[in-house]
Amino acid sequence: MVIDFSPFFGQQTPLDRIFEAFWSPNMAISQRPYSYPPVNISEDEERIVVRCEIPGMDISELDLTLTESSLVVKGERQAAKGKYYRQERPTGAFQRVVNIHAPIDRDKVTAKMKDGLLEVVIPKSEASKPKKISIDIA
Amino acid sequence: MSEITKTEEKGLPRVKPSTDIVETDDGFFIYMDMPGVSKEALIIDLNEDEIKVSGRTAYPAPDGEKLVHVEFGNGEYYRGFTVSHIVDKSRIKATVKNGVLELHLPKAEKAQPRKIDIQMG
Repeated sequence: MVIDFSPFFGQQTPLDRIFEAFWSPNMAISQRPYSYPPVNISEDEERIVVRCEIPGMDISELDLTLTESSLVVKGERQAAKGKYYRQERPTGAFQRVVNIHAPIDRDKVTAKMKDGLLEVVIPKSEASKPKKISIDIA
Repeated sequence: MSEITKTEEKGLPRVKPSTDIVETDDGFFIYMDMPGVSKEALIIDLNEDEIKVSGRTAYPAPDGEKLVHVEFGNGEYYRGFTVSHIVDKSRIKATVKNGVLELHLPKAEKAQPRKIDIQMG
């Protein structure tokens, strides 16, 4: 038997019940009150970078789709087989859509994954880069 | 990342990693979601009956990039477990793959269920 010594172990106060309801261990991804997976988006002049925390998934198990104006990250987390004493890790199908409001170079998009962190680099197309216009003053 | 329990002096939030504890025929398995933690940044301490797991994420600051939308960041994962006498502590194994730490705690020989033959009298 393995017991984790969380400060909440063995107690059942009203606060604990609220806490348990919010972080209910058997909740599937679709029932969670927050979006999964969490996403960070950053950009510079050349590219847009989308980073997601998806632990336990291999990049081959993910379905990445790039449409005209959005990036869709899809997948399904499987649960391990056995007798569960504690289940907090989310399971089930997930999908996250990131809207992109800039012209992008679809052919040069790259994606890599390391230690459960997905990184998708979307280069901006030439049309969206800022251009300097010289104005001749007469 | 799940619950943020405490803020460290250095400003890194301390996070309890989401954990599954599963029993199979081979023993117990503890799975912990620790995305962003490399094998080198992971510390597993076994002291008497306590296992303490900690690890820091090391997301590099995006160089020259402007953050547009943020939902996660650097943090320190920390969680402790008590292991009972039925676990063979000398054979505990840890593996990290795709940001998930897997601890395998095999049952001690004497704790394995055994069929008892019944002799006819």
